[in-house]
Amino acid sequence: MIRKAVDNPAVDSICHIPTGARRRSVPKGWARWVLSAPLLLFLTVFAVLPVFYGLWISLTDQSVLRSDINFIGLANYAAVLTDKAFWSALWFTVWYTVVTTALVLVTGFVLAVLANRRFPGKRGLFTFLLLPIMIAPALMGLMFRLALNGDTGLIPGLLRHFGLDVSLFDPHAVTTLLVVLEVLQWTPFTFLIIYSGLQALPAELFEAASIDGATKLQAIRYITLPLMGPTLFAAGFLRAVDALRTFDVIYVLTGGGPGTITTSLSIYVYKMAFISGSFGVAQAAAVLILLIMIPLAPIIIGRVVAQPWSKK
Amino acid sequence: MLAGASSALGATTVNMVLWPGPEGDAMQKVVDAWNKEQGAEQGVRVKMILLSRDNTFSRETTEIGAKSSNIDIYFVASYNLNFYQAGLEPIGTIGVDESNYFKSAIDSLKIGGKLYALPLDVSNHFLYYRKDLIARLLSDDAWKSKYRDITKTVLGAARDPKDPSEWDADDYLATAAFFSKSANPDSPTQYGTALQLKTLVFNITHWDDLLWGLGGNWLGPDGKANLTSSAAKKAMNIYSTIYKNKWTSPDSAQAEFSETNSALESGNAAFALQWSAAYAELTSPELAPRIADKIAVAPIPGNPHSTHVHALAIALNKYAKNKDAAEMWMKYLATPQGMDAYAKAGGIPSMPKVLSDNVHLNAAFAPIIDDVGKYGYSPPLFSGTFDAMTQMIEALNPGWVGITPIDDALADANQKLQAQLDKMK
Repeated sequence: MIRKAVDNPAVDSICHIPTGARRRSVPKGWARWVLSAPLLLFLTVFAVLPVFYGLWISLTDQSVLRSDINFIGLANYAAVLTDKAFWSALWFTVWYTVVTTALVLVTGFVLAVLANRRFPGKRGLFTFLLLPIMIAPALMGLMFRLALNGDTGLIPGLLRHFGLDVSLFDPHAVTTLLVVLEVLQWTPFTFLIIYSGLQALPAELFEAASIDGATKLQAIRYITLPLMGPTLFAAGFLRAVDALRTFDVIYVLTGGGPGTITTSLSIYVYKMAFISGSFGVAQAAAVLILLIMIPLAPIIIGRVVAQPWSKK
Repeated sequence: MLAGASSALGATTVNMVLWPGPEGDAMQKVVDAWNKEQGAEQGVRVKMILLSRDNTFSRETTEIGAKSSNIDIYFVASYNLNFYQAGLEPIGTIGVDESNYFKSAIDSLKIGGKLYALPLDVSNHFLYYRKDLIARLLSDDAWKSKYRDITKTVLGAARDPKDPSEWDADDYLATAAFFSKSANPDSPTQYGTALQLKTLVFNITHWDDLLWGLGGNWLGPDGKANLTSSAAKKAMNIYSTIYKNKWTSPDSAQAEFSETNSALESGNAAFALQWSAAYAELTSPELAPRIADKIAVAPIPGNPHSTHVHALAIALNKYAKNKDAAEMWMKYLATPQGMDAYAKAGGIPSMPKVLSDNVHLNAAFAPIIDDVGKYGYSPPLFSGTFDAMTQMIEALNPGWVGITPIDDALADANQKLQAQLDKMK
């Protein structure tokens, strides 16, 4: 967007930027490297080197159980790929990501559309709606562990008051419970992004549609949704990335169980590193997760980043 | 930041990790007193590093894996001492008088005959039960008759109720049914017991008590995994029967220490296997007003009674910068005086004499001395013990809560335990 604006002669004339000055402002040769050096150094130290160090560890038998480190080739990768628990964690994580991302997008969109009008108490409602994202996920897990306690918890007590004796921690209900908590915590996030997007839509389009006799649902279907596509994609992308890394709430509430049915990839890697003490295997699992995700990156970047530039 | 540093007065600072909670609170008081008096004279200042209870061992794993010298004294436990051995120094030079300690505690901290850690707290299990309910069961003819009917259904033969100190695994199972509304609509409690079934490594220890009490063990006489034994099947069957029949809350699938306390405190459960550390809370009129005066403890049901015992301990970092200073502090903690101060501050030292001298401070000390000494056992200890416990509970838990057939769960646990044992070869 910035480049487009600067390249526009009309903008230049409004801003009184002389062409020569604009040319001189672009660093050339060694100057661009000097100016980029802090960022490059930061990326090298905190991103590139750790990745290469991680790759090296994944090819070794480094473990808390031994003081020496030996190169063992791809043995750790073979160990992870033949571990049923890894595939189970991968399946659960993908399922959890898809389901929770879809749900937070739908609920966030519905709430944003409902809130996109004037009504009394709107400020208070917004404050209330945004509260869950201000709570740390681990704390959220702890709060619900207490609130859902069958003996002393508020929620089972209320349900019993209305004649519903439901076990929310039942092994067959626990994955649903985790999804509900994720939706509860992160719907405000998608709501906020989508609401901001709705505010930016031109009101004239909706007025014209209304004059043409379009119903509210038709306006949403044919105007709001197409125009909100990029916003929805960005919100979904951010939530999906976060859901893929989910650790805290699940670890606090279920520890990855019963058995391993709610073990996410993050919990799998954590257990490998800190309970088994097998840093090499844990690192190989982390690299494999990265490799699985990499093919998705161009598609996502293409949608989220490249789209505005392609309009040049 | 964590690295040992000399203060302006020239004292050496020893960095020691402990975990927060009763142990950390108690040790902080001992540390403060040491820093003010003896430590100041000897030029050794101790700095406590309290990490979160869940992540203490994760952080230590990272430190030890990196051969770091940030920490001088690590916090360890019997079940993970072997896991950390590569980063620890034996503490033979401290001159610990082993006769002061529970034998099971001191033995659990030795590797190859060498002592690697200094015991602090001893941890074991009790059967916590409602003495008012059991007293009525033992005296009321109508209840006795109903109990016999229920035992006939549950066990296949009628039994009379017994005092909890005489229970075996069958009494435990039958009484769980008797005090559950699903089996006995007239029960004064919703559930007979409260199992701790969450996929949490420590929760396997309660099931182990039943296994040991039925004559079982993780390992057979040949040293190989033995979780498909008849004792293991019976222990498994007891857990799954209790869960399936709602003799424990369905929510106990995700229950651990605090949920079990809640079940007893709310009056929803009649008895439960629980850690000795729960005694203070369950008998406190402020924290457990409904049941504080009604709770009693008995040995874990079994024949023989068997309670898991582990010691929480401190160990010297092999790569510590301040070994001499750290040893001076550990030497003090190895004395009865040091542990007496710890007991008075709220700890549960592994020294029977110190516990008996302080029974007036904590009534749990008396049964701890009795049960740990008579019925205590330590699970097989090897470098993969902690990992094996984690993998076993992941395998057994689906069997306990009815997701997997119990034979499949046991076979899976057995295979995982054997794989861990094979790694040690």
